[in-house]
Amino acid sequence: MSTITRPRRSRLHRKEHQAALAFVAIPVIGFLLFTLFPLLFSVYASFTNWNGISAPVFKGLDNYTKMFGDRYFLKSLWNTLYMMIGIPIGLVISLALALAMNRKMRGTTFFRTVYYLPVISSIAAVAILWQWAFNGDFGLINQGLALVGIDGPNWLQDTATVKPALIIMAVWKGLGYSMLLYLAALQSVPRYLYEAAALDGATAWQQFRHITVPMVAPVTFFLIVTSVIGGSQIFVEINIMTPTGGPEFESASIVWYIWQKAFDNLQMGYASAMSVVLGLLVFVITFIQFRLNRRNQFSID
Amino acid sequence: MMKSRPMAATLAFFTAAGLMLGGCSAPSGGDAGGEKKLTFMFRGGEDEKKAYEKAVEQFEAANGVDVDIIVTTADQYTTKLKAAIAGKQVPDVFYIGPGDVQAYVQNGIVKDITEYVEGSDTIDLENIWEYGVDSYRYDGKRVGEGAIYALPKDVGPFSFGYNKTMLEKAGIPLPDKDKPYTFDEFVAAAKKLTADTNGDGTLDQWGTGLNVQWNLQPFVWSNGGDWLNEDRTKVTVDTPEFAESLQWFADLQNVHGVTPSVAEAQTLDTYQRWMKGEIGFFPIAPWDLSTYQKLGFEWDVIPYPAGDTGKTASWIGTLGVAVSESTKHPEEAVKLVEYLTANKEAQQSLVDAGIQIPNLKDMAETWAADTTTKPANKAEFLQIVKDYGRALPGGNTFNGEWYDELFTNIQPVLDGKQTAADYLKEAQPRMQEFLDAANQQAGN
Repeated sequence: MSTITRPRRSRLHRKEHQAALAFVAIPVIGFLLFTLFPLLFSVYASFTNWNGISAPVFKGLDNYTKMFGDRYFLKSLWNTLYMMIGIPIGLVISLALALAMNRKMRGTTFFRTVYYLPVISSIAAVAILWQWAFNGDFGLINQGLALVGIDGPNWLQDTATVKPALIIMAVWKGLGYSMLLYLAALQSVPRYLYEAAALDGATAWQQFRHITVPMVAPVTFFLIVTSVIGGSQIFVEINIMTPTGGPEFESASIVWYIWQKAFDNLQMGYASAMSVVLGLLVFVITFIQFRLNRRNQFSID
Repeated sequence: MMKSRPMAATLAFFTAAGLMLGGCSAPSGGDAGGEKKLTFMFRGGEDEKKAYEKAVEQFEAANGVDVDIIVTTADQYTTKLKAAIAGKQVPDVFYIGPGDVQAYVQNGIVKDITEYVEGSDTIDLENIWEYGVDSYRYDGKRVGEGAIYALPKDVGPFSFGYNKTMLEKAGIPLPDKDKPYTFDEFVAAAKKLTADTNGDGTLDQWGTGLNVQWNLQPFVWSNGGDWLNEDRTKVTVDTPEFAESLQWFADLQNVHGVTPSVAEAQTLDTYQRWMKGEIGFFPIAPWDLSTYQKLGFEWDVIPYPAGDTGKTASWIGTLGVAVSESTKHPEEAVKLVEYLTANKEAQQSLVDAGIQIPNLKDMAETWAADTTTKPANKAEFLQIVKDYGRALPGGNTFNGEWYDELFTNIQPVLDGKQTAADYLKEAQPRMQEFLDAANQQAGN
């Protein structure tokens, strides 16, 4: 009996294996073709002088040494870092919103939808919208400020306000997503923890500080990591709202600068080198975050 | 059912955008069913699309060739074209700017079409503006001379204009269309126009309001300055002539007060204020003409005010249509270029749309002589193309990085916080560095 069934089961097995491999192969091939190959190629390109249409010429470390004397590279790196101020601000607001939404009251579904709307909207369309909202004369924001007697600045043309303006927009855009994740985290905090704390006489603030915050910490960590990675690649809103990199290069982000070098000024090799550096920076930052997070978890326990 | 027109328009826009994205992924030049097939990639608005579709239809009918049209938005065009080139799927016929010629020729992307167009029976090369054709000549060293690599889609002479109604009301003698204002005369006229007309204590009418990036060139050139030396190897913005004209430009706002203040200009840009009739003197380009036909005041075109040389100056923009080196049907592709750039009906429909001046000299003369449409002095545009217009300084070098550098940090000068001479002295070495890098890349 077994001698008859064994090959049959094995064939079935083999077939399933093949099917499984085929399913696995699709993303793996996709990764090799569309991620790993371009990645390796851009590492190679970063050592060459290449204008994007010619054949690359090997130049060694030229592009990398050039970078450190390039004031616009440093400035755009700084701008990108500066605009990440929006990340903690966004987290605080979205946690507050999530706490509000977590209450049993009428209309929460409606508000959840409202706050989530920006997330699913096309970033290009939204950027154009905000460009108008930030218009100094008849923009929505300054009209609102005028109601309370404030003469608003011309947000996107002023060196002092262009970065805050972009931060405001980025916070608004990301709010719904963070809020939704926080909401899910809040709902999975066991009730009995609060009940026990209340019995011990903990105030609302103490409950929030010692139960809610630690319990949503994994979500906070996830959000910080993904926002830092996303924030270091900010591009579309900048390219649409300040197409020349803003007044005195104040809003040019690193990816915007890379793009401009590669496609406007025919320096694909140099642009690749900057992308490699950016990739390494993001990797290092993320690595540090993971290390810090591990330490934090230990201290909670 | 669509509820409202804007709604429908928005939907249509996004649908079209989606289609375009889809269409762009496969710009192949393959032949389906034995029929010859070409792809034509360009960027532009509705009017251009309409005109070119007509021209393409005629071309298809006359030559038995099938043409695939790929339209992109202006800001995505370079990215898409570069991607197509990197993927070795170069469209047979596509737009290039004069600034791209060097790089594209050196890398064998565009085809030398001299032979075809010189011996063509479809067009008469003599009848197309020399400036336009010369912008796409390249001899391996210098753009502007040598073999032809594209034909001009248009030439865009940037000119100057004034609000006639406003000047008459202020009792200012109308400017001569053949004799440019001097800098001083211009300031004097602008001062008279800058006024509070309704007596509410704040200015509501100004002499002028010019954007530095598009208006500085005429003043610098007519004052005897320039961006580069003759062989395009040295940045010459640190000359006294250059500094004087930039300072004068900044003084219009800071000293003479004849432009909306920084805050005012930033809030409602001067283009809007000009159209509302609040600005006396303003630049006028061919692509403005259709919009300006509906202005609520009389206006006309004059030469730019001239500095020390006494000779007015201005710049001409242009885009060209080129043929790819890799096309399978060079003869047909060149013919398509000829249809797009010199077909009478296509030209007429672009001119009727009010977005460009005719590419064909004889047609342009007829257009300029027509007094039924504004402005009266259309001849000024033709003079710019024929006599005194120049290319934008950044357009003839390997890339425009050195040129953009001047404008990146110029704001303090315009705000009166830094003198022009100081700033230019600071900017020159930085620009020179970029120019050297560009020239080195170009192999010059």
